[in-house]
Amino acid sequence: MAKLKIFIFLFSLLLGFNQLKAQDNISPARKLAIDSLALEKVRDLSTYISIVGNKDTPWSEANRVIERTLELFADGAMMGVSSINREEVNYYGVREYLERLMALNYDKVDITWYNIQYISDLERQPDGRYVGVITVYQRFEGTTEEGLRYVDVTKKDITVYVERKSTQISGRIIGFWDVLLGDIRVSETKPG
Amino acid sequence: MKQLSLIIVFLVSMLTENTAQNINNRQVEEGILNASTKQVNQFFRRFNGEESTKGVRYYEGDKDYRSQALRSRYINVLFDNGNASITDPIKREFVQEVVNTGDPEFVDFHKTGWFAEVTTKFLYQGKDVYITLFMNIEQENLGYKWVLSNVYFPHFESMFSSTSAEASRFLHPMSHEIDFMNLIRVFNDKDNIELYAAKGHEPDYLSMFLYELKKGNLKYQSVSNLKFHFFQIGGWYFEVSNFNRPGANSGWLISNLMKVDKEEDKDTIIKFIMHE
Repeated sequence: MAKLKIFIFLFSLLLGFNQLKAQDNISPARKLAIDSLALEKVRDLSTYISIVGNKDTPWSEANRVIERTLELFADGAMMGVSSINREEVNYYGVREYLERLMALNYDKVDITWYNIQYISDLERQPDGRYVGVITVYQRFEGTTEEGLRYVDVTKKDITVYVERKSTQISGRIIGFWDVLLGDIRVSETKPG
Repeated sequence: MKQLSLIIVFLVSMLTENTAQNINNRQVEEGILNASTKQVNQFFRRFNGEESTKGVRYYEGDKDYRSQALRSRYINVLFDNGNASITDPIKREFVQEVVNTGDPEFVDFHKTGWFAEVTTKFLYQGKDVYITLFMNIEQENLGYKWVLSNVYFPHFESMFSSTSAEASRFLHPMSHEIDFMNLIRVFNDKDNIELYAAKGHEPDYLSMFLYELKKGNLKYQSVSNLKFHFFQIGGWYFEVSNFNRPGANSGWLISNLMKVDKEEDKDTIIKFIMHE
């Protein structure tokens, strides 16, 4: 009976500990620092998309930028793209998405970003990593040789993974927060 | 020369006007995007009064964190204005109850009492079909995850549509004495096979769905619609959907609101949502 009581006590302690760990939130100050790190990556991504989409960017430079872009992402990240008139979502790998952007049949492409970004809370996953979503808006304007103009505004909901890592520098273990981008949901939107 | 100068001045003023117009349009569009409820996370924060109008997160201890004034303002703009069935009196009553200073109510991402309804498109036996997935937030180890809790697929439902136990559809009580040799009759009658199951038997559509996926009969295509059902506010049910449309009344908004006086009413609504 005594053994059973000890077992129940240890079990409830473990259960309580797990619940505590699951609620182990990042402090507001830390969250702000992580947000700016994540936003920096999203800004890098925005810049790279604009460069890859620009028709004046030489082919070799665009390819170099695609490689840099891929470094921002976790393995296997995907882009899910839909438009207002089409309910289906088309899925592309990040490389495929950028290569399609590079190959678009416009004579001139102008990609700009709205000065609006929304950063969600960071939620902890079962594996201990944190996940959040940053929303940004992109304006795309493509003009054909004949002068036909196509304009769209897309909302990009970008998954952000945040993980505590450590590295050894001069024999000392230094902890740091690593941010990687994940799946991106791209949906056409009409703000006006 | 004078004429040329005039033309240049005119063209420059036109260009400046156009640029100013473009900047102005851009500012208007950014204002609208700022007003739109861009994420479900933002719906939670606005409903609870946990962020500024600029989207800056408020934390416990901040002056306006969960303030009554902020919440009243926010919740009033979280309704789909295009839905006439959500009348002004019902909105008022809801807002008053939710922000009530004595006993304010909040929505909580981590707690039960809300779930997602995800309409998905699959390929089944060579045809496009729509399957509704019901998903809940569940705690596991260090964090949380979304899990499948139920499935609605009209094809599965139609397989179990026999309702009345017909007088001739049973295994007689002495079947055991003949080594259940009459089971052959049961299994040849596959359209009504469920009538031979125990009283109270309920088909488990989620297991059937997983089985069909594992067998390769269902092939996933994409998500076609998403909404959320909330039962976290005492005495109320509301639905949240995404409105991708021009204007500030867009994004994640309350698309349905109902008073739920009794616990049975809540169960009826859940059964209705799940097509049970």
